[in-house]
Amino acid sequence: MDENQRRLDSIRRGSSELENSFIDEFASGRLSRREFVRRGAVVGLSMPLMTAIIAACGGANNSGGSSPASSGGGTGSGTPGADLKVGIVTPTAAINPVTVADQGGLDMLGQCGEYLAISNSSLQLVPVLAEKWTANADSTVWTFTIRQGVKFHNGQAMTADDVVYTYKLQTDPKGSSNALSAFGGALTPSGVQKVDDFTVAFHLEAPNGNFPYLCSSDNYNMIIIPNNYDPSKWESTFLGTGPFKLKSYTPKVGASFIRNEAYWGKKALPATTEFTFYDTQQPEILALQGGTIDVIGQFSVDGGQSLLSGSSATVINLKSSAHRELSMRCDQAPFNDPRVRQAIALTLNRPEIVQGLFLGKADVGNDSPFAPVFPSTDTSVPQRAQDIAKAKSLLSAAGHGSGFSTKLFTENFLEIPKLAQIVKQAAAQVGVQIALTIETSSQYYGKAVFGQSDWLDGAMSLVDFGHRSVPNVFLTAPLQSKGTWNAAHFKNAQYDTLSKQYIAAPATDVQGQKTIAGKIENLLLEQTPIIYPYFYNYLTATASGVTGVEPTAIGHLFLFNASKA
Amino acid sequence: MAIFIAKRFGLALITLWILSMIVFFAGQVLPGDPGRAILGPLAAQSAVSHLDDQLGVNQPLLTQYWHWVSGFVHGDMGTSYQFQAPVEPFISHAIRHSLELAAVAFVIVVPLSILGGVVAALNVGKAPDRIITVLGLSASTVPEFVSGIVVIIVFGIWLNVLPISAAWGPGASFPDQLYHLILPSIPLVLVLFGYIARMARAGTVEALDSDYARTAILKGLPRGVVIRRHVLRNSLVPTVTVIATQTGYLIGGLVVIETLFNYQGIGNLIFKAAQDRDFPMLEAGVLTIGIVYMVATLIADFVYSMLNPRIRFGEAE
Repeated sequence: MDENQRRLDSIRRGSSELENSFIDEFASGRLSRREFVRRGAVVGLSMPLMTAIIAACGGANNSGGSSPASSGGGTGSGTPGADLKVGIVTPTAAINPVTVADQGGLDMLGQCGEYLAISNSSLQLVPVLAEKWTANADSTVWTFTIRQGVKFHNGQAMTADDVVYTYKLQTDPKGSSNALSAFGGALTPSGVQKVDDFTVAFHLEAPNGNFPYLCSSDNYNMIIIPNNYDPSKWESTFLGTGPFKLKSYTPKVGASFIRNEAYWGKKALPATTEFTFYDTQQPEILALQGGTIDVIGQFSVDGGQSLLSGSSATVINLKSSAHRELSMRCDQAPFNDPRVRQAIALTLNRPEIVQGLFLGKADVGNDSPFAPVFPSTDTSVPQRAQDIAKAKSLLSAAGHGSGFSTKLFTENFLEIPKLAQIVKQAAAQVGVQIALTIETSSQYYGKAVFGQSDWLDGAMSLVDFGHRSVPNVFLTAPLQSKGTWNAAHFKNAQYDTLSKQYIAAPATDVQGQKTIAGKIENLLLEQTPIIYPYFYNYLTATASGVTGVEPTAIGHLFLFNASKA
Repeated sequence: MAIFIAKRFGLALITLWILSMIVFFAGQVLPGDPGRAILGPLAAQSAVSHLDDQLGVNQPLLTQYWHWVSGFVHGDMGTSYQFQAPVEPFISHAIRHSLELAAVAFVIVVPLSILGGVVAALNVGKAPDRIITVLGLSASTVPEFVSGIVVIIVFGIWLNVLPISAAWGPGASFPDQLYHLILPSIPLVLVLFGYIARMARAGTVEALDSDYARTAILKGLPRGVVIRRHVLRNSLVPTVTVIATQTGYLIGGLVVIETLFNYQGIGNLIFKAAQDRDFPMLEAGVLTIGIVYMVATLIADFVYSMLNPRIRFGEAE
């Protein structure tokens, strides 16, 4: 027996059955190192333990590599002391951790606040205010060990009481938390329990193998605030535990931050960061080109071509699961026949759409929420491609050989009106005439409940979805029979069972998740309640000489490793 | 004089009251609700309802209106739905910015366009007249977002001599603030120059044709004195009215310029407030613009009467 094998056996003896099966997956080569680290983090394996396992396996499966961990502030090697000037989209409302629901707002939360964990650009969970976490056998109870020695910016020590307060506040069904929809069916206030001063247990409503993602930056409202702190006052203090402290915040104008010298982890590199808020993208791009700002938090391809084609800026290009969903009413003619829905999906030339709308900075969708960026996506499922002849024959078989007329409702947001036009023209090739209704977002979403929303009631409806690190939300609300955002009115018992199985599967059970994902992908291709044309990338721009900027596809902009030449 | 002021003041109050009602009730037609605007389309309905209750937007419309109006007359502009903070600092910050930008634009465009108009009038039908008229008209037809982008690219990026963003940093000195406002003023000057110059030209041509100007010339007064003392004084009367009517545009109508130069003026503030159904902000913003407009009109009336003594206050209405 060689030395590596002895070390591996020694680790195995101290591990649970679940962890051992996960280690076996890695040792047998079925998991890449990146995937091993990502999934290991979800189930709470510590980084030293995973490093030991990787070493014991002889550094096997070195494909991909993982991005540097972002926990504990600065880890970069750039020059410290920079004064960074950053442009981001204007926060649309008060910076209240409970109600923030926009990108500018969540960007502000993430400057001073910290999460139990961060989901980094590789969708890998990195412990931050939690040191580790473990689940029981059926993933219904998750126990988090809270980091000791962490202080809020006012000097107060952070303990389990602060975590319990934050989570009870954000899961209160009588409250106005934006995180309620993410926690729906998963966690209620009574499930949040303090075990001791540095341990918190979450008792879930249903098994959830990816629950730690709900406690991470993925669920962006969940920064830890002090026990009994009034969240509506947060805007005046930005009282968190993070590597930067608030210097000033002026709504609609900007904010500035200084390095937190008492930070619990490695200190941030920049001395100060100054944020300027922009209502639209064009002035932001001009400001970067003119040297007024060093970083643009996010830009879209539509209007941002000069950044992509010029050499004046460096573009950080993150693959994401952000996408558009074109739903068709499965409970109404003509879309109550799956063949009609398939026919519409077959009219789209997806590679052309991706090139035309995103200059290729997007992945082609395959009519399921399993984006290529998700490691659990079964990539062996054949990709749907444009096939007009097949679309026509499907329509004929469904009794619509001469086509039909229908309506498509959508919102005037980013590239969506252009996509709606493309769908209209594509469908016309098979005789389907689509009348477009392009509304303001508030008109389109209406009350966001069935019967009072064009989004949820329209015969066809095209909506935007932001990035998530795991597909759970995409699999439930828009697709499950009782889903609150089920604009397609899709009701399929087999799908409901499969999606629940997927969510309950332990994150370590890679093959199990992939197998269920494959079944869901095939079922959705056959049923096609929703067309997923693409998953577009998250683009950030920095001026030349700026390094260490770490965006996440959900919208954060972490600057603790940033420096300026 | 006192009666004149009292009458104008009373009329202004009635106008503002009607304005407040129009904005409030017209705003109710907009779809969506404030709680949804804050929490976003995907938030749970229970959370939205709870927030709406907290904001008080579920109360009867008349109750909401009464609360707002009674607060306003007591100096309380209300609390922003969107920012959950008093509206007053937002409005005062934005109106100060808008007034500064308008002032810079006025300081540049008024003398320039009056000079242009007078020069054109003194050279009617000749090359200077044609050049000024054609250039002025052409410039005023170029949309602000086009001229704005052009000046940003030329002066901000290529030549790199003026700041692209009009938003100055904290603690900026007054000259520094003016420096930041030069670039956004240029598109406004281009839009207004042609209009004001045309009015000044027309007024000057008419004054030059008048009996009193001819008499002044015939009695041997130097040309400069005739223009300064007799012509300009009368030719500027319609010009002053035009300038006053542009105040509303310069204060509240610069959404495009404010967006392009990332300037936090009141035009953008109320535009976003309308989008987000932030009624307290929208109402206070519109009324503030209304007040500024009334004051500008009142000042114009006074200037008008001073330039033209034949007009008595009673007739000036």
